[in-house]
Amino acid sequence: MNTIIDEESAQKVETVLQKFIDESGATYVLLTDMGGNLLFKVGEENFDGDTLAVLSAANYAATKEIATLINEDNFSLLFHRGNNENIHFAKISPDVLMIILFKPYLSLGLLRLKIESIQKEITELLGNE
Amino acid sequence: MAIVNLKEKTIQVKIVYYGPGRSGKTTNLEYIHNWLQQSEKEQTSKLISIDTKGDRTLFFDFFPINLGKIAGFDLKLQLYTTPGQVKYESTRRLVLKGVDGVVFVADSLASRQDANKESFDNLIQNLEHHNIPLDDIKLIFQWNKRDLDSKMIPLTEVQDMEELLNSELQTQSFSSSAVTGMNVLKTVRFIAKETVQNVIEKTAFKAMNIQ
Repeated sequence: MNTIIDEESAQKVETVLQKFIDESGATYVLLTDMGGNLLFKVGEENFDGDTLAVLSAANYAATKEIATLINEDNFSLLFHRGNNENIHFAKISPDVLMIILFKPYLSLGLLRLKIESIQKEITELLGNE
Repeated sequence: MAIVNLKEKTIQVKIVYYGPGRSGKTTNLEYIHNWLQQSEKEQTSKLISIDTKGDRTLFFDFFPINLGKIAGFDLKLQLYTTPGQVKYESTRRLVLKGVDGVVFVADSLASRQDANKESFDNLIQNLEHHNIPLDDIKLIFQWNKRDLDSKMIPLTEVQDMEELLNSELQTQSFSSSAVTGMNVLKTVRFIAKETVQNVIEKTAFKAMNIQ
């Protein structure tokens, strides 16, 4: 199965992600499929988005395997705290992972609420290809 | 699972180097990476290796390549290796998710033929785990370490390896040496071309008359 992202959907998803950044104060948002293929990236960056997508998908998959091993369905929160940047991984559909970089002074709870509010919209846009 | 982005005009495919431990998967990627670094004017992406202290692959090695354009689309190749050691089954399976093309790197050492067979059977099982039918992806073989032939180290004949692993599939194979670079680039060029062609045929390109 291959994914084709048409021009109109791509434009709409990028608009939604840009709006998310403007409203939440996040630094950078990236969407990848679970195989590590970069789908979208929006925001300031000085690193390789392709590699971030690959490592994030691997990190998420490994964490999921750990959950299975200890008889958990999945861990609901996957988050790393840094000195200058935090990173949060959110599964927004069975095959799409959202990676959000944000400054430590931002509230993770608020960010998660905002993710929840755009999750459906993005899933629908990607599902309508 | 390849990604075709009609806005960015990109086609992205995932190619995985699979095979038993110490067969030369990482060496293949390192050779390609070094070659690209020396021959390309633009900067090559970093080769990411998640390995152990003993330089054995723990999770995977990875780097992306831009292959140029086809019908106005930028081709992006994602190259991965898997950990070959038997104990890393769980991480090896994860790397195969969404794969579009596989290079099976078989060890030519006479003593490693059982390991080749075991690893190949494991590949088939793991593809089944991800519901990827074998005829849905491109698979080629690389008979690696052929340079050792000249050093009087006992190797299995190519014909015997073909019979062991490739008798049913009858797919393309290359005799290679990842250390010296023999047929390493030929292998990656071939799998890239075949995989991209397969992806284009499977997507709606024909219908959309983009070809």
